[in-house]
Amino acid sequence: MAYAYLFKYIIIGDTGVGKSCLLLQFTDKRFQPVHDLTIGVEFGARMITIDGKQIKLQIWDTAGQESFRSITRSYYRGAAGALLVYDITRRDTFNHLTTWLEDARQHSNSNMVIMLIGNKSDLESRREVKKEEGEAFAREHGLIFMETSAKTASNVEEAFINTAKEIYEKIQEGVFDINNEANGIKIGPQHAATNSTMGGSQGGQQAGGGCC
Amino acid sequence: MFGRSRSWVGGQGKSKNIHSLDHLKYMYHVLTKNTTVTDHNRNLLVETIRSITEILIWGDQNDSSVFDFFLEKNMFAFFLNILRQKSGRYVCVQLLQTLNILFENISHETSLYYLLSNNHVNSIIVHKFDFSDEEIMAYYISFLKTLSLKLNNHTVHFFYNEHTNDFALYTEAIKFFNHPESMVRIAVRTITLNVYKVDNQHMLHYIRDKTAVPYFSNLVWFIGSHVIELDKCVQTDEEHKNRGKLSDLVAEHLDHLHYLNDILTINCEFLNDVLTDHLLNRLFLPLYVYSLVTQEQTEDRKINPQVSLYLLSQVFLIIHYQPLVHSLADVILNGDLSVFTLQTEQSAHKSSSNAGVRRFTKPLESLERSLEMSRQRGRKRAQKRPNYKNVGEEEEEKRGSDEGPEEEKEKAKGTEASSKASRTSGDKEEIEMVVMEKCRISDVSTLTEQNITDEEKSAAAAARSEGQKSRPFLDMLYSALDCDTEDYQALFVLCLLYAMSHSKGINPELLERIQLPVPSQERNTYSQVLVERVIRIMSQAAQPDGKVRLATLELSCLLLKQSVLSGSQCIIKDIHLACLEGAREESLHLLRQFYKGEEIFLDMFEDEYRSMMSKPLNVEYLMMDASILLPPTGTPLTGIDFVKRLPCGDVERTRRAIRVFFMLRSLSLQLQGEPETQLPLTRPEDLIKTDDVLDLNNSDLIACMVVSKDGVQAQRFLAVDVYQMSLVEPDSKRLGWGVVKFAGLLQDMQVSGVEDDSRALNIIIHKPTSNPHAKPMPILQANFIFADHIRCIIAKQRLAKGRIQARRMKMQRIAALLDLPVQPSTEVLGFSQPSVTSSLPFRFYDQSRRGPAFASVDKVPGFAVAHIAQHNSTSSSSSVSPSSSGPPDSCDSLTASNTSTQSQTGLALAPSLTPAPQPTISLLSDNDAETLSVESLTLLPPADPPRLRSFSTQSSIQDEDEVANTSRPEDDCTGVRDAQSQDISIIPEEDESSPESGPLLAGETEDLMQAQREEPVTQPEADSMGVLANQEDNPDLEEETAID
Repeated sequence: MAYAYLFKYIIIGDTGVGKSCLLLQFTDKRFQPVHDLTIGVEFGARMITIDGKQIKLQIWDTAGQESFRSITRSYYRGAAGALLVYDITRRDTFNHLTTWLEDARQHSNSNMVIMLIGNKSDLESRREVKKEEGEAFAREHGLIFMETSAKTASNVEEAFINTAKEIYEKIQEGVFDINNEANGIKIGPQHAATNSTMGGSQGGQQAGGGCC
Repeated sequence: MFGRSRSWVGGQGKSKNIHSLDHLKYMYHVLTKNTTVTDHNRNLLVETIRSITEILIWGDQNDSSVFDFFLEKNMFAFFLNILRQKSGRYVCVQLLQTLNILFENISHETSLYYLLSNNHVNSIIVHKFDFSDEEIMAYYISFLKTLSLKLNNHTVHFFYNEHTNDFALYTEAIKFFNHPESMVRIAVRTITLNVYKVDNQHMLHYIRDKTAVPYFSNLVWFIGSHVIELDKCVQTDEEHKNRGKLSDLVAEHLDHLHYLNDILTINCEFLNDVLTDHLLNRLFLPLYVYSLVTQEQTEDRKINPQVSLYLLSQVFLIIHYQPLVHSLADVILNGDLSVFTLQTEQSAHKSSSNAGVRRFTKPLESLERSLEMSRQRGRKRAQKRPNYKNVGEEEEEKRGSDEGPEEEKEKAKGTEASSKASRTSGDKEEIEMVVMEKCRISDVSTLTEQNITDEEKSAAAAARSEGQKSRPFLDMLYSALDCDTEDYQALFVLCLLYAMSHSKGINPELLERIQLPVPSQERNTYSQVLVERVIRIMSQAAQPDGKVRLATLELSCLLLKQSVLSGSQCIIKDIHLACLEGAREESLHLLRQFYKGEEIFLDMFEDEYRSMMSKPLNVEYLMMDASILLPPTGTPLTGIDFVKRLPCGDVERTRRAIRVFFMLRSLSLQLQGEPETQLPLTRPEDLIKTDDVLDLNNSDLIACMVVSKDGVQAQRFLAVDVYQMSLVEPDSKRLGWGVVKFAGLLQDMQVSGVEDDSRALNIIIHKPTSNPHAKPMPILQANFIFADHIRCIIAKQRLAKGRIQARRMKMQRIAALLDLPVQPSTEVLGFSQPSVTSSLPFRFYDQSRRGPAFASVDKVPGFAVAHIAQHNSTSSSSSVSPSSSGPPDSCDSLTASNTSTQSQTGLALAPSLTPAPQPTISLLSDNDAETLSVESLTLLPPADPPRLRSFSTQSSIQDEDEVANTSRPEDDCTGVRDAQSQDISIIPEEDESSPESGPLLAGETEDLMQAQREEPVTQPEADSMGVLANQEDNPDLEEETAID
């Protein structure tokens, strides 16, 4: 399927904050969130539409690579957007945000759009980090902020799509050099001929959607 | 909750609960009915595979019987069957996603073993997917990455087959090491690292013997190709247009170095040997180091010396693996060109292999082909010797018996030797692996010999005095430190020396042999060559048109400190210290030229100090910045950080002069073991802080209501101190005392009236920030409402006056610091005199100091003008001589303009005493000038006689200097005024031309030393500096500092 742009995202944050679940939740609607099943994935892609343009999001989870410095820094550099995730029921994951952010800022290109996500908003009773704290942190560091729940799918769409919108706006403003693929942005193939067979997870998604 | 999860099952839902064994059985049924993929059943199959994933994960978390069923029915085989039918992208993607999810989410070790047990996974790994499809590629490589994260000493057996010499996970992955998509390359690196991390000797032996040479040689070639592209990018750059691309290439190089370092840090010794050999002999030496000395473009694959210096610095900053960096440093510091030529001869008779030269060449075959060949070979060998294990053991035995204890003894050198030996590995060999084996043998035979050579060499080096041995690379480094025309290369050389001296992998002895500074190491000598060159950089930086960037200067200071500070002792020789003092003195002169009374000068001065203290140079970050690879530029339009380029315009030149002065001053104080007593201008510990309790008896307090921006109101008393305004509330314990609720610097304050309320003032105090990009952050932004408009006016006047006085006092401290004459104290102390604050026009204070066009209030020279105009009978000036900011060679025109000023003011003042015109930036608007004259009437008392004295002092010294220097018309002018005895010696700017032009000669230094001895630099004369002395005695006035 042809796209106008491809945006590469990475998901960062402490282990266990639900990064891969968010990713699966967003990229594949067929996996419905169920309370007795935790399921995630480390890579996913999905097509969205912004401003009438087809935009493909490719999302890479960076989990498990923290021990290698070369890997983290490369990941940051190759992405146009980053979702920085913490768990609202675990204060420590919020406290580590500064470190994550420093890392991201140091290694990424300066235009990378970072969205702060407080995940597990469904677990209100176990909340340890107030929403206002997340908002304040985001404001202080110039991030977009949202609380999501991979379990209930609340705000998941918005988180990914708003990030994409911000990147898209930056492209329109000419901030991103779109001819430079190292920025995590790719211009789509001009012709969709090679993609005549409908496919990809977005195809699967449609198929899945059909089953609903 | 439960219901929702089921909704999608829709039509096919025979089972009520999709997460159940029953449902899996149903899915199995679907698979058996649809073994062939057709257009009709494709969607059904995809959905079936997808839901099987879900059930399996659920089973792993909830019900193990699910897994049993999956294995029992061998359902993986169905997947493979579907895959092999070339069923198209749609199905492939689904299968890969399923596999990804399966391996990602499985938490039980046993479930994992089940999944891996029947080799299906390996069949999937080697399946030829359509990798031209970016999504398939991405899912595939993620799948491999997920698998690699599951590798450990147990699971590795499912992937690495000792008997068939197969390790598909690894070999398939590395084939994509140079994939155009960066995320794929990153995944490949992750996979390789995860593999090397597994401590399984057999597997690692396999990796080394069958894949290491092909992979590393191709990797090294890949890195080198990027380097050549990077170099081309630098060469072809015009007007900094290539910066975007350049920074990517630099980042790519850094990625590679970090990756190499990650491999080396895993510390798998025999892999490291191979990698070190390739890096050293195929990349770093032939491409980077060789490029340092070759002038002519003989080889087309040469890169520029500056690029090579830059890249080498990165190597030393990032990689710390001892055998690698030590050998590399040894060549750079001790080696000569024979490392490139001799090798041919040596290897010629040592090995039949003919291509032993250290050369950056392309591997003869692609990685994929090498792997294929090696695999086939492995198969053949496997037939002969069924168990690879034996091979490894045999080899090791042989090595052990041959080398024995010698190897251990020479472990450090071993790699070097082995790498030298394996240099014989031929490019023309068909399979590099074979070469590798040959090397191992020749390795053994050459080892002893090589060692002797090495020892001889080092012995010889020690015997001979420094410098006698030919060291072309080191010579190149030292000569590149010359900054006469530019500091393009010098910056890189300093970085390289810094990086080498900080490298954990370099034996300190190596550095000490050529007296390079090793941090935290006791020593009593230092490299004179280096120190002299570094001091010369400092001296050049202090020249008005010096081409030394601030980063270069800062790094020079770092290296000098490292060289001459041994523990707490400074071992610098007097002569070098004298040269350094000379440079510092020059920087002082340079700054004096820029000293202006303008408000912005104070802000710049304090801002530069904050920046210097808060952001010390980080060499690693500096060497990550691609922009310094392009020739140094002056324009800020490039977006290059100020410290990494030359100044542009007068403001930046001023900033630079300030910073150079700070750096050299701090260096000089540190080397002489003296504490800094004058900087920062305000120390935080001297300031009033929130919650301090003050005795406010007899203080002027004005009651007011403070209404902050968000509407919070508080009743407070406003008190104005020397440097600060504070808001207090009465102390409950002691009458007449107050608790400070807020304190802010007057100098950062903005006061304005409130339009429709004559009783109110709007006050904003900004936080001083060292980051010029940050928005000015107000620490206070509030409306102050007073009882009536009279009190309001009083408050306004007091604040405004306080602001001016606070700033003026600081300016005077700067003047004192620069050994410039300071205004008499009365006006400063006069702050408390009520008469002073009488008739000031408000509009004057409404201007924001951060407002546009440097709205300037507090100009010392400005005052002088006004003052002279009013009291032209007195020949005193309250001003210092802010001589022109132009270069010294323009002194003739300067004199002319000075004279004209003189005639205008109608005074018989020496030209140097009259305020010089400020040709470059005029910060004086008409409006300000008018205000100033009004103010000066009320503020400035007639000047004291001592002023005259100190001024003529200055002239007299200038006069005296004339004797030494050739006389100039300007000096003649000043000389006329010489009537008083000299108390202060200020080396006039005329002096600067001499150190600038000549090299650091001993004689000159002596002269400077003389001058310094005569002049108590840091102790201003009592009469002219009375103010200062006064201030220092008076703790109330001493309070000054920047709030941070």
